[in-house]
Parts: sequence; C-alpha cells; structure tokens
Amino acid sequence: MSSLLRNQKVRNALLQLLYVGSIAALVLAGVAIARQNLAEQGITSGFDFLSKSTGWDVNFSLLPATANDPYWWFFLIGIINTLFLGSVGLMLATIVGTIVGLARTSSNELARLLGRTYVDIFRNIPLILQVFFWYAVITHLPTPRSAYEAWGMLLTSRGLYVPVPNVGGPAMTLAIFALIAAIALPVWLGRTSRLSQPIGERLAIQLAGAAAALAGAAIILAIGRLPDLPLVDFPALQGLNLKGGLRIPPEFSALAIAIAIYGGSYIAEIVRGGFKAVGKGQMEAALSLGLSPWRVFTLVRLPLALRAMLPILANQYVWLIKATTMGIAVGFTDFFMIVALTINHSGQTLEAIGILMAGFLTINLSLAAVFNRINKAIALKGNQLRG
Amino acid sequence: MEMIVVAPSAPGRIEDLRRRFFARPLQALLSLVSLATMVFLAWKLLNWAIFSAVFTTSGGPEACQAAAGACWSVIAARWRIILFGLYPFEEQWRSALACVAVVVMTVLSCIPAFWTGRRIALVWGVGTALYYVLMKGGMLGLAYVGEEAWGGLALTLFIFVTTCLIGFPLAICLALLRRSELPWISHTTGLIIDGVRSLPLISILFTFAVVLPFALPQWLAGDKLYRVIIGSALFFSAYQAEIVRGGMQGVPKGQEEAAMALGMSYWQRIGRILLPQAMRNALPATINQFVISFKETSLVVIVGFFEILASGNAAYGTGEWRFAYVEVYAFIAFIYFVFVFSLSRYGAFLERRMSVGER
Amino acid sequence: MNSTQSPGAAVRIENLDKYYGSFHALRKINLSVERGERIVVCGPSGSGKSTMIRCINRLEQHNGGRITVLGTELNDDVGNIDGIRREVGMVFQHFNLFPHMTVLENCMLAPMIVRKQPRAEAEATARRYLEKVRIPEQAMKFPGQLSGGQQQRVAIARALCMQPQIMLFDEPTSALDPEMIAEVLDVMVTLASEGMTMICVTHEMGFARRVADRVIFMDGGEIVEEAPPEEFFTSSRNERTRQFLSQVLGH
Ligand SMILES: Nc1ncnc2c1ncn2[C@@H]1O[C@H](COP(=O)(O)OP(=O)(O)O)[C@@H](O)[C@H]1O
Ligand SMILES: [Mg+2]
Repeated sequence: MSSLLRNQKVRNALLQLLYVGSIAALVLAGVAIARQNLAEQGITSGFDFLSKSTGWDVNFSLLPATANDPYWWFFLIGIINTLFLGSVGLMLATIVGTIVGLARTSSNELARLLGRTYVDIFRNIPLILQVFFWYAVITHLPTPRSAYEAWGMLLTSRGLYVPVPNVGGPAMTLAIFALIAAIALPVWLGRTSRLSQPIGERLAIQLAGAAAALAGAAIILAIGRLPDLPLVDFPALQGLNLKGGLRIPPEFSALAIAIAIYGGSYIAEIVRGGFKAVGKGQMEAALSLGLSPWRVFTLVRLPLALRAMLPILANQYVWLIKATTMGIAVGFTDFFMIVALTINHSGQTLEAIGILMAGFLTINLSLAAVFNRINKAIALKGNQLRG
Repeated sequence: MEMIVVAPSAPGRIEDLRRRFFARPLQALLSLVSLATMVFLAWKLLNWAIFSAVFTTSGGPEACQAAAGACWSVIAARWRIILFGLYPFEEQWRSALACVAVVVMTVLSCIPAFWTGRRIALVWGVGTALYYVLMKGGMLGLAYVGEEAWGGLALTLFIFVTTCLIGFPLAICLALLRRSELPWISHTTGLIIDGVRSLPLISILFTFAVVLPFALPQWLAGDKLYRVIIGSALFFSAYQAEIVRGGMQGVPKGQEEAAMALGMSYWQRIGRILLPQAMRNALPATINQFVISFKETSLVVIVGFFEILASGNAAYGTGEWRFAYVEVYAFIAFIYFVFVFSLSRYGAFLERRMSVGER
Repeated sequence: MNSTQSPGAAVRIENLDKYYGSFHALRKINLSVERGERIVVCGPSGSGKSTMIRCINRLEQHNGGRITVLGTELNDDVGNIDGIRREVGMVFQHFNLFPHMTVLENCMLAPMIVRKQPRAEAEATARRYLEKVRIPEQAMKFPGQLSGGQQQRVAIARALCMQPQIMLFDEPTSALDPEMIAEVLDVMVTLASEGMTMICVTHEMGFARRVADRVIFMDGGEIVEEAPPEEFFTSSRNERTRQFLSQVLGH
C-alpha cells in the first residue's frame, strides 16, 4: 500500500481525483441543500416560472413591458437594458478617453497637465460613489415646473426630456441604423479607397456616402411618420407633470455619466499607452518620406497605436459592461437587478443565479470573440511590432 | 536693483515660453484653451470650496444653505457618522484607533524590509488581530460591540484588509493549481478562475450575502459580513491568481530545474525559489490590484452594509442636511482619493524603480 | 537510500527511449558509467546530449528502458527520485543560480533544507567549496553582480555542497566568453583529479583529452561512438564523428 502511494503515477491520479471530486461534491451538496431548503418554503425548482407573469414592473425598458409579462420577457428586457446602458457608456467613455488620452500625449505641456489632472482625480474615486453623486445631482435638479430648458429639451429632477419624431417603431429602428451607417460609411469608404487617390477625391466620396445615408434616414422617417401628429413631439408641462417627448430617467443618466467619466479616465491611460508603444523611429521614417504631419498621424501613428491598445481596451470594455450592474444601487433595471428582483419575488434562487451566470458568460464570450476577430483582422503579420 | 539683475535673462525666458507654448498658431490656441479651462475650473473650485464656503456649524443648516459656496458644516456636524457609522458614541475612539492600526500596517508593508513571506504575514496578522480586538471588544476591559454596529470608514477598511488577507493566499493556491502539470487540476482551476472573472463583483457579493445561506447547512452559514468578505476575497483571488501566474511565467524554467537537481521537494521549490521571484515580478500589478480592490469595497453598500458610502448617504439623507449632498460626497471622495492615490503613486514608483534596476 | 555502498556501476542506462510527443529524441541508448569514471559527451546540437543526462536525475522522464543510478532504479517511485537527486549534482549551461539569494545562501540552501544540516555546518561547507572554486571573497554578493565565469563556479560549488557522488555537466562553458572558460575548466579538472564521477556534455576537446576516461559521440538521438580519448581523436572509424571533429577542431 505504502509503495503504491509512493508511485508517482498513482499519486497524480489520486490527487486529481481528490481535487475534482471534492469540488464537484461541494457544488452538488450546495445545490442539493438549496433545493431542499427551497422546497421547504414551497418553491419547486425548475424553469417553469419563466412563463409565469411577474406581477411587478420595470422602470426602464426599450421594449414594451407590463406587470403581466412573463419572467423570460423581463430577463430579455434586463439583458437589453444592460447592453444598451453598456454601449452608451462605452461610447461616451471612449469619446472622453480618446480626448483626454490625446491631451495626455500632446506636445503641449498645459494640455498634458490638464489631461493628467483629469485622470488622477476620476480614476481614484470609486465608480459607485460617482454614480451616487450624479444621481443625487440629477434628483436635486428643479421640479418640472421650473425645469431648465434648452433646444427643446427639458432638464428636471425627474430626468431629461428630449423631443422625438412622431414615427412608428420599426421605421425608427431602421432610421437609427441609417444614422449609424452615416457615420460608419465614410470610415469604411476611407479605408477601402486607395491611398494614391488625392485627398480631395477621397473626401468627396466619403461625404457622398454620408449624405446618402442621411437622406435614407430622412426618407425612412418621412414614410414611417405617424398620421395626424406634428412631425416632432416636444415635451411640455401639463399640470404638475411633463408630457410628450422621450424621458431619459435619472437612473440611466447618472450611470451613463459616471461610466463615461470613470471609464474615460481608464481609456485615456490605454490610449496614452498605445501611442507610447509606437516607436519614434517609425514616425521619423514616415516624416522623412515627406508625408505631412496629418498623414503621418492617420497613416502611421494611429493605426499602430490602435493595434497596441486593442487587447487592453477589450478587457476594459468587458469591465465596463460588468460595471452596469451598479444600476441596482440607484434602481436601474439592468439584467442583474431583474435577477435580484426575481429572486425576491419568485424565490427561484438557483435558476435565477444560473441565468445570471449564463447571461454574463455569453456577453463576455461574445465581446471577446468580436475583439479577437478585430485583432486578427488588423494584426501585423509576423512579429514586427515587438521586434 | 533686482530688475536690472534679472533683465538680461528675461528675453531668454520669454523666448523659452514662446517656444514651449506658442510656437505654432494651433499650439498657441491649445495653450490658451487649456490655460483658460484650468484657471476657470481652479477658480470655481477654490471659490466654492474655500472662499465662499461655510465652515462652522454656528449658523445651523439654514445659514449654510444660503451661502454661495460649499457647506462644510455638514461634515463638522456629521463626520462621526461618516467615519464610524453606528458604532457606540463613547467607544468611537476604538474605531479610530483601529483605522490607525490598519493604516500603519499598510505603510509598513510598503517598506522593502518587510518583504519576506514571514514578516508580511506577521505584520498583517498582528494588524488585523489588533483591529478585531479593538473593534469587537469583549476582552481587556473593552465593552463588546457586535459586527452589526460596525460602520463607516472602519468597516470599509476591515472589509478591504480581510479581503486581501484571505484572497492573497487563495490567489497563490489558485495560481499554483492552474499551472499544475496534472491536466484535470489545471483545467478545473482554470474554469473556476475564468468563471469568477467573467462575473460582476456585485453578483458575487449578492450571491454570497443572499443566496448562499440557502445552500449551506445552518451551522456553516455564519454572519453575513463574513460571507460577503469571503465572496469578495474569492473575486480578488481570481484576478490576483492571474497576476501571480504571470509573475511565475517570468521566472526562467532553469530556476525550478536547478532546485529539482538539488533534490528540493515541490513545496521547497515553490516556497524558496519560485514564489519569491514570482512575487517580485508581480509586485506592480499586485499593487494595482490592491488599488482596484480598495475601490471595489464600496460595492458592499449594495448588499446592505453601513460602510463609508452608506453612512455618507445617511449623513445627508435625513432632515436638515438634505441639500448638502455634494459636500458629503466630496468628503468621502477625498478620503478614498487619499488612500487610492497614494497607493497607486507608490505602485508607479516601484514600477519605475524596478524597470531601472533591470537594466 | 543506502547508496554509499551500493555495488556496481554509478550509472547504468539500458535501452533508453525518450519521446517528445511523437519525436523520438533518444533511441535505445546503452551506457554504463563506473564509479570514479569521467565521461565526456559530445555531438552536434540537437543530438540528444542534454536529454540524456537530464534523464539521469529525472529532469526528463524516460519512456522506455531502464536507468539505474547508484544501484537504485529510476522509476515512478517518488522516494527513489528524491534520493537520487540528492546524490547527483548538476551544472547547467546558464548557471541557474538563484538571483534573490547571495552566493553563500545559494550554496547553503539545499544542504539545510534537503539534508537538514545545521546552519553553522552548512555555512562551513559552503565556504570550503567557495574556497575550492576560488571565489571565497564573493560570498556575500548576489549572482547578478558576478561575471559569467564566477557564476558558473558558484554553480559548481552549490552542487558540490550537497556532497553528491556523481556530477553532471551540461555544456558548462558554452555560455561563457573565451577568457572565462579556462577558470571553469580548471575547477572541473581539479574535481576530476579528486576522483569525482563526472558526466560532462562539452565541446572543449582539450578538456576531454586531459581528463576523460571515455568520450561518447551522439548524433540523432543515438550513441554513435564510444572510445578512450586518444583513440577517439586519432583513429575514429565513423564518418559522422570525423566530420564533427573536423568542425570542432577545424578552426
Ligand atoms: N521539451 C522539449 N520538447 C520537445 N522537443 C524537445 C524538448 N527538449 C528537446 N527537444 C528536442 O530533442 C532533441 C534533443 O535535444 P537536446 O537533448 O537538447 O539536444 P542537445 O543537448 O544535444 O543539443 C532536439 O531535437 C530538440 O529539439
Ligand atoms: Mg544541450
């Protein structure tokens, strides 16, 4: 027996068996105990509850939602809310981060100082504190009666009211896609057109693309317009409350602002790191070829810096998406809050936690897959960047 | 007289300024815009925080609210709640002392003389024990104060310290398991680490605080505070494990081979050869992880703890100080800033020192 | 392990096979080394020299055949492996000193924690061997502060501090500048003259001529030739050996 235990192969097999076995046992025991405890409270395990109606409501949804809708619909709403808040937050954070990051790499000392101050302050204050802060700021804004007004928008303690076109849902979605295309098309055209073309010609092609997409959006909006209503629905005071327009609730704005500011400070550092990784030699080589500073930036510095920062940026994006779960702190019904509410109201604890894990795993994996593809597509062949 | 002495160098200085800030039109514009922004913000901030601010409680909240600047009176009136939460008033000196103990412990562990496994463990063990005795009492003539009464900064620090204290050894274990040569062990551990990393911390805290009691036998469930600490330590360790593993990958393979050839056992190789070198490699990233984890302790507010953020909400949330939320958040932000900024500066300093040392 | 009086050869390798995945790195190696014998192993790069001597203290696990060291067979028995590693010292091409410890600590560590020697005794031994490799004055320095030749001598001292019965050398001078090679070889010659059992992978043919009892030539994972040095250098029958020798000695 003792000689058997001294055998390396036997030992290795035993160790592995013990490790995997005890972890599996722990998990299984936990699940078994939980099922028993829940059964004692009259909760049957299983996913039948998904098709039952919830009996409670959400305060923010891009899809129609009532208390009569089933749980699975609410989970979907939660995921969409998370993704929506996530993408708005990411977009804003990326814009802020790019500006600050460029300031930090600028040759101007004052701009650098400004960028650095920004990063030092906002990176070092916890995100949730910033969420609380902005939420308090917004909810302390004036009541609808004395709202701030600008360009048809109303800023009140109950949220930001923006005018929206009176257009049917499908047409609206299509129009949004067209607007995205109006931004994406020139970029794509710029990439595919050849460098040998004169800049003026390329610019003309890009502008034409953007204009076509914008015109498309306008046509879609005109066709989808709801009958008998003014073209644009402006928010306005009616009694004690505001009617019309689109309300962006304080919960959403507070989260989006906080994520933009906090995430921006991290992304600024990533941008700076990316630019730092571009060798001086490459830029000098480009300059010595007689390229203008602007072309050196767009053709050499930016592409190389982007490649260097992309992997880190991917991690940061994943982190920021996960940070949307702070919605629960101010009552924004993101995916996690829906899960928490489900557990509270239905008691389907294990199932809800399972759905939560599966949801975030899916989000993370798909984000990773997207970034891997981008990374592969733009990766330099061979080891040039490191060499 | 002095003017005359300075004068000859003045054109040089002006020329220097011109070259640095106004060389090209675009450069000059950028300089002006930056300068204007900075001056404007600095003036606004100083005016609000100092020149027009009210510092005394004498006028009461009403006078304070009327002032144009900040109302620091709310801090003067409520700082004890923010720092110590609901800890019994007469005993709050203990809470303060406990915070000092944690700060001293942190500062000590930044000194290279303490960077051996045994000394660090000693410093942290003693520091944490001291904190615990001071806060909880029930011995040495100190009155007993249960965990449910802990709060404010003291609770934040406690959660942070215990998270690290449990999470760090766990991280090392996970890292070792993940780089094991036995495939089942390394794959299972990898699954655990990646799984935890893909989840948001809040969901883990929530699971440990709310869901875990269902899945544990009664006698094992324990206090909610300790469950949450274990959850947060698990999360910390999943990230830290990858940092430690990175450090281990930086140790040349020959090091372990040399140790093997000398007849050292697995644990001797790990403890004497691999870990000391790996930890040194991983130090900057580790400090960064500490910084992140300190900021993340604030999330326990969501599962219902009365740490500094929650006590801040309470400090302005009730009654006559409702309007003074900015001041309260600014105060808490300042406290976080002091801790986090000094720690991250220290990390940056170490990183610079190490990268110089390598050459 | 009663290795001190175990009978027979110091190392006996029979039909040794070693695979890296599907790559056959060692093919049916047979080699026997007597106590006190000094073997030099040479051969082109990639011929399996390192793999072979690393099998002797189980830095590599073999896939077929038998290896017996000091009368104990290297098999899956953990106790055997530990015992053999204690009796077999090894010196590496890249020194592999522990950079976070001083020279003295490098030498004292294994005797203290593996052999459980008291600190004072371990230090005395360490200083004696540092003296022997002629760098007693560097004891308190860190490896990074020494030249390559000095580091390799420390590595030899470190191995000797375990008082091994067999020493393995894997190209100990290949990473050194020419002027440092001699100081390391000198130490190795002294060691050989004291009767240490040595297996050296090296291309220093002068060293082989002076101290080797046998020279082994490997190629393609096989032992191609095995002969006393005079015979090896002057009347080698094998084409591959002659080609290799002309390359090594050629310039
Ligand atoms: N860890 C390994 N994995 C795969 N192949 C290896 C490994 N180590 C060595 N080899 C291969 O085995 C062969 C012999 O290597 P080695 O013993 O190091 O040669 P030598 O020391 O004679 O130069 C080489 O072809 C090498 O590529
Ligand atoms: Mg070799």
